[in-house]
Amino acid sequence: MKTSVERVFLVDDDPAVLKALARLLRSSGLEAVTFGSPQEFLERVAGTETGCVVLDLAMPGLDGLALQEAMASRGMELPTLFLTGHGDIPQSVRAMKKGAVDFLTKPVDDAVFLRTVREALARGRAGRADREESTRVRERLAALTPREREVLAGVVAGRLNKQIAGDLGIAEKTVKVHRGRVMEKMEAGSVAELVRLADRAGLRRS
Amino acid sequence: MSWPTVLWSMDAAACLTLATIHLAIGLRRRAAANLLFSAMAVAAAGMAALELVLMRSPEADVHAAAVRWAQAVFFVLMVCLIFFVRTYLRAGRPWLAWTIIVVRGITLVVNFFSEPNLNYSAITGTRPIRFLGETIYLTEGVFSGRTRFAQLSSLLLLIFLLDATRTVWRRGDRRRAVVVGGSTMFFVFAAAVHTALVMQGGVQSPYLISVAYLGVVAAMAYELTFDVIRSSELAKRLQVSDAALRESEQRMALAAEAADVGFWHYDVDQNRIWMSDRVRVARGYRDGESVDFGRFLEAVHPEDRALVRATVDEALRKGGDFEREYRVIRPNGELRWIAARGRVESDPRSGGVRLRGISFDVTPRKLAQLEVERQRSELTHLSRVTMLGELSGSLAHELNQPLTAILSNAQAAQRFLAQGDGHLGEVREILGDIVEQDKHAGEVIRRLRVLLKKGEVDRQPMPLSDVVRDALELMRSDLVNRGVTVTTDLPPDLPPAIGDRVQIQQVVLNLVANACDAMEGLERRERRLEVRTEANGPSSLRVSIADRGPGLTPEESERVFEPFFTTKAHGMGLGLAVCRTIVTAHGGELRASSNQEGGATFHFTVPLAAGGPA
Repeated sequence: MKTSVERVFLVDDDPAVLKALARLLRSSGLEAVTFGSPQEFLERVAGTETGCVVLDLAMPGLDGLALQEAMASRGMELPTLFLTGHGDIPQSVRAMKKGAVDFLTKPVDDAVFLRTVREALARGRAGRADREESTRVRERLAALTPREREVLAGVVAGRLNKQIAGDLGIAEKTVKVHRGRVMEKMEAGSVAELVRLADRAGLRRS
Repeated sequence: MSWPTVLWSMDAAACLTLATIHLAIGLRRRAAANLLFSAMAVAAAGMAALELVLMRSPEADVHAAAVRWAQAVFFVLMVCLIFFVRTYLRAGRPWLAWTIIVVRGITLVVNFFSEPNLNYSAITGTRPIRFLGETIYLTEGVFSGRTRFAQLSSLLLLIFLLDATRTVWRRGDRRRAVVVGGSTMFFVFAAAVHTALVMQGGVQSPYLISVAYLGVVAAMAYELTFDVIRSSELAKRLQVSDAALRESEQRMALAAEAADVGFWHYDVDQNRIWMSDRVRVARGYRDGESVDFGRFLEAVHPEDRALVRATVDEALRKGGDFEREYRVIRPNGELRWIAARGRVESDPRSGGVRLRGISFDVTPRKLAQLEVERQRSELTHLSRVTMLGELSGSLAHELNQPLTAILSNAQAAQRFLAQGDGHLGEVREILGDIVEQDKHAGEVIRRLRVLLKKGEVDRQPMPLSDVVRDALELMRSDLVNRGVTVTTDLPPDLPPAIGDRVQIQQVVLNLVANACDAMEGLERRERRLEVRTEANGPSSLRVSIADRGPGLTPEESERVFEPFFTTKAHGMGLGLAVCRTIVTAHGGELRASSNQEGGATFHFTVPLAAGGPA
């Protein structure tokens, strides 16, 4: 479901609240899916969906924070927004540290709620774009020969062609040829861009 | 020595003496019997005097007059005797009595119209004889047949006396029958026979009528005197018992005063209430005012009147003993508590029903009792408020949920409306939901207010499972926050228990909160609570709250209910003590025990509503 629409996943044990929040989202043109418990959410959502999650903090069984952890451990990348009746500071700090978008108190004003949901959706989109670019970069990186990758490493490390040639025990001219191919395969217009791409691929270590 | 003169004079004197005595008694006591006797004794004395005249006079004229007058005297004697028997012995046939009087009356009239008198057609002279050493004169003359009339009346008199004596004897008054009836008959008979013999000349003797009648007079005097003695004895005895009664009454009054007890009785049929003076004064009744039940109720506190009336009605219906405490308002406005105890009696004389009993002022005890109750209720309320304070977060959340739904729904509706009329169906649905959620919030507040209320204890039949569920409902958020999973077994078909809903909820809240505290240290998934209601024998229900905490040692199982005993870092240690007070006041039991699989169970019983299972 790559190009599926963005949806807001609501998890709350109170059906009335669930229904009301879904309506609010719908009234502003957002699509909402409701879940009465964290377990139900985990059963029905695979992790490939796009959108964001709105979690009630206090629920019987798994609570909101536990669900957040469960999602992380399953590699679900949906941005999470917490709603709570009486949030205390330690809980909110813990949630934010784990990457929660925000921590809102019930009853929540529509403007605040919708703005935050949109923010979460935007963050999800950004993350998705980010992840897609990383994938592309990794694909390009995979197209490089071992020698080209060695040359790339040298370029990214900021060494001169001559130094790279020395390091690898090959001619400076050969380094230039490899370097040209690397720029081409990585679709980089400049050395600076190449460095950025290598960074994204997590290549620059040390 | 002229014996006849002496004896006849003594005879007359004795009769006159007795006559005088009984005249005095008769006048004083207004007793007809004594007066009649007195008249008869005078007549007997008169008879003695006439006989003496006859004995001592040699003149024929004197004899003729004396015999004539003797008839008159004898008439008086007879009439008095008859009336005496009628009034004193209450016997003798009236028609016979009147017949005798009429017959004798006729002979008396005849006596005065015949010469020389009734008994003789002619008196020829007198004859001297020696009698008891004296010369006396007997009448000489021609005996008249008219005397038979007089004799007939004497015979009738005898029959009358015989009949009267028999009546008295049958009545069981044998002594009187013998003494009065027997002796009278004997002497009347003797006098009649002797007189008849003398008149017909068969016996040379003076008339002895007065002597015979002296016997009658003596017998009667004996009886009457006996009565006088007896009545004076009775009077003396009465005086003694009267004094004893007064003494006992005084003692009673003293005891009543010392114990501050009032006496009363209530004649139901006549609707009259008598009460001792202190009570009368205390209730403000006027001197001599007659108090009926309505007037009595006026002094009773208006709220207690129906109760008092019902108690009296029930007592009259069931009989036996009864008891009631009620309030009265004194004339000065002061309120007093009165305890009354009584018994239903039937009056043996009138056959009517009456209530008799005592009443006493129990105001100080009642006030102390009310004070204890007030303090207990204060403590109960305080403990409830404290506990609700601890639950406030949870309660706020319970309210917050519907408020959240309401706000979001309302704002969604606003947005839909801003987009035009296309969403009216949705908006209508939203409004319906808002109403429902508002009601839900109201319900939460109502439950809370009930628990916070400082009301009087109100024991009513109640569905125990619902009451327990309500309490759990209030704690729902708290339980969620503390990660406690609750399993319930609350069957809806249990018979109703009797108790104060609020206080029973308080106990449940307390026990559940304690159970949660006990499981604080466990893993979340281990924090399990089981709540159940079930029948406990034929007359009560049981509520059990089982946790998985560390449990209790046997010693702790009892000590947890002591005031100020606590295992928690915070808390006063009053919660369970108050719970036990509440449950005990309901007639139930609160206990703690350890579970086999770990943890503790608290269970308490609540009695079934009257009548038990339907």
